[in-house]
Amino acid sequence: MKKRYFSTFQIFLMTFFAVLIVVAKIALRLPLQLSGHSGIFWMAIIIVGSKVVPKKGAASFIGLMSGVISAFMGLGDFGALNTFLSYTVVGIGTDIALLAFGNQENLVNAAFIGVIGHFGKFLVKWVFGVISGAPVGFVALGLGKALISYLIFGALGGILGGLTILALKKAGYFAYLAEKK
Amino acid sequence: MNKKKRIFLLLTGFLAIIGLMFLIEYLRGKSQTNASEGNLLPGQVAIFWNGKFNLGFSGSDLEGLQEASFKDVEEQKTQQGWLLKDVLLNFYEKDLFSEDTVIRISSSSRNLSATVIWFEVLDEENFILFDLSGRGTLKLVSVMERLDERAEWVQDIDKIEINPQ
Repeated sequence: MKKRYFSTFQIFLMTFFAVLIVVAKIALRLPLQLSGHSGIFWMAIIIVGSKVVPKKGAASFIGLMSGVISAFMGLGDFGALNTFLSYTVVGIGTDIALLAFGNQENLVNAAFIGVIGHFGKFLVKWVFGVISGAPVGFVALGLGKALISYLIFGALGGILGGLTILALKKAGYFAYLAEKK
Repeated sequence: MNKKKRIFLLLTGFLAIIGLMFLIEYLRGKSQTNASEGNLLPGQVAIFWNGKFNLGFSGSDLEGLQEASFKDVEEQKTQQGWLLKDVLLNFYEKDLFSEDTVIRISSSSRNLSATVIWFEVLDEENFILFDLSGRGTLKLVSVMERLDERAEWVQDIDKIEINPQ
């Protein structure tokens, strides 16, 4: 029998991280009126998830699962398809960045992975705006400000994820997981 | 392909996409200005008074206005921005409005609209306000029953029509 790419245990773990993203999105609120500030939790969780399941496509799977859950829960201001694709592309972007940067334990790498992954969400929202013919920014440099905000919170999320990985490693979590598989 | 090359390619692609975004946004702004026959600058929201174009405004015109905020019932997110009342009184005298003046706020790109009456707009407890969306466009939100859920909000606003009765 052909061996499956992800084991049942890994699928369970990735789904757990997907749920964690949705819960974080709903429950954790930063009193900031800045675009993309939730990326600080979002990217941290997805980066930790991609380390816990160290296979290509793990981040995309987590993104896809969280997108499905969020779309069904009616999250987001711009409709289910926008929400679904936003979450999914964050995962795909993280996987692409992981291919280039590799090790998420290095905080500089983690920050870049966070930036690229979170940029995916911004890109989806912008593309939807262009397709729907949304007016160009009402505020001066609105797009630029929003983009910078997304990139900064993506980087912070990446660093938070990297620090979490280091803490988990120190606590022996990855050694424990290696036994489980 | 080695790691350095992969990182170089990724960052080059990333910067190219950002450059393309700004170029497209610039061209969209130009085409929207042309579509309004030169009446509006990129990003401006048009106000029509009794069916006739009256003026266009953008974020810089509202800089002096105080912002209001509330937490929406659906997601408990803070919605913050300029009250519709303050925006309109920024451009028009109060006595031009009567209690039953009808105000329609719409988005041509999303084909959405909401209609409110001046006495509702005046009531600050209704929190009829313009929140700034992540992509820098206006979104009409409120705590009024018919406007308190996401499905009822008007995103990407580009037109306000005022019709005194």
